[in-house]
Amino acid sequence: MTIVIGFEGSANKIGIGIIRDGEVLSNPRRTYITPPGQGFLPSDTARHHRAVILTVLKEALEQAGLKPADIDCVAFTKGPGMGSPLVTVALVARTVAQLWGKPLLGVNHCIGHIEMGRLITQADNPTVLYVSGGNTQVIAYSERRYRIFGETIDIAVGNCLDRFARVIKISNDPSPGYNIEQMAKKGSQYVELPYTVKGMDVSFSGITSYIEEAAHKMISSGQCSAEDLCFSLQETVFSMLVEITERAMAHCGSGEVLIVGGVGCNLRLQEMMGVMCKERNAKLFATDERFCIDNGAMIAQAGWEMFRSGQVTELEDSWITQRYRTDEVEVTWRD
Amino acid sequence: MAATDREMNPESEKLQFRLDVPFPSPRDASIALGSLSPDREPRKGGINKQLMVTDRTLTVRWSADEARILRVSVNSFLDNLSLVLETMQMFAPPASQ
Repeated sequence: MTIVIGFEGSANKIGIGIIRDGEVLSNPRRTYITPPGQGFLPSDTARHHRAVILTVLKEALEQAGLKPADIDCVAFTKGPGMGSPLVTVALVARTVAQLWGKPLLGVNHCIGHIEMGRLITQADNPTVLYVSGGNTQVIAYSERRYRIFGETIDIAVGNCLDRFARVIKISNDPSPGYNIEQMAKKGSQYVELPYTVKGMDVSFSGITSYIEEAAHKMISSGQCSAEDLCFSLQETVFSMLVEITERAMAHCGSGEVLIVGGVGCNLRLQEMMGVMCKERNAKLFATDERFCIDNGAMIAQAGWEMFRSGQVTELEDSWITQRYRTDEVEVTWRD
Repeated sequence: MAATDREMNPESEKLQFRLDVPFPSPRDASIALGSLSPDREPRKGGINKQLMVTDRTLTVRWSADEARILRVSVNSFLDNLSLVLETMQMFAPPASQ
């Protein structure tokens, strides 16, 4: 029996989760929500995390019904992400690891998403679409690496959605993407937007600039509604994602798709991916907001796999890093 | 000559700052050192920070080119230090207290 506690706080969510051999014992989380029209800045986000992290840690232990002595390993997000929030979370992880005399383990955030998705859905060897506010990658496993087959060449798809939400002042509560998804259901008219797939890669900065520039004019002139723009933006960017995922599947001969990351809980994206999978006789796996959106359990789960395969991180090597590619990690826990 | 002096000992031209933090025990001081040491300064140049523990005191020394850079580093260190202290107060196992 191996029990791992995982600390996550690389963006505006702070979560601490505990996993015992594939079972999520607790997974409390808090989100730093900014007013409409505003994004979250690193120092404000770090302040939010500092203010709540010890309460969240208490909750994680209480909900799991565990004492520190029961824990075998302390995992935390080493990167990628925003510097100060990462440092805040790493400080608490390092301190409790030393206080409790437990080994420490620095986890790649993207690997956390993949391993949590695999645990929850039981997908065996899927082509992974990882979509969030900070990352957009199509990933497949091969010879001890999660290899990136395609990715964004500029900003993440979630960043594109978040920035659009800011322009037309959509609420950030519970998340801009969730509110765009709800508004999109009421949209009926498709407004053509730039569609940018470059081989295996995608680009979202052009679409973002275009819609930032055009949104107010189109809405105020009555050319379309805010709901139509939400609908059109989703249809456009999700089509791009489905296209590169399908191409990666064709390359790998893969029959499974797993969608992870915060944007992955969007039901319209899941629906569109489902249509493509059906045509290819492939299986689609996705999770809901508890595990798609950043959380502590995903770091605990990746940490569990790493710890069981013999990895630990020495204190002096436990520095955080804002840039940390998915394919930098040697996957020691898969064949 | 002043110019030669500066070349030989550039440290003397920098702003120096020193902080001593007393802890209840040497073990506590060394845990704080372990938690606060690993992360590098976010900016590349203009500031140098060294941490060490003597008995039950954590000592931090800064040398910086500009007051502005020094202030940012000291501020963020103090934020980080209070978080570590709070964590130690709340989550230390009863035996060590």
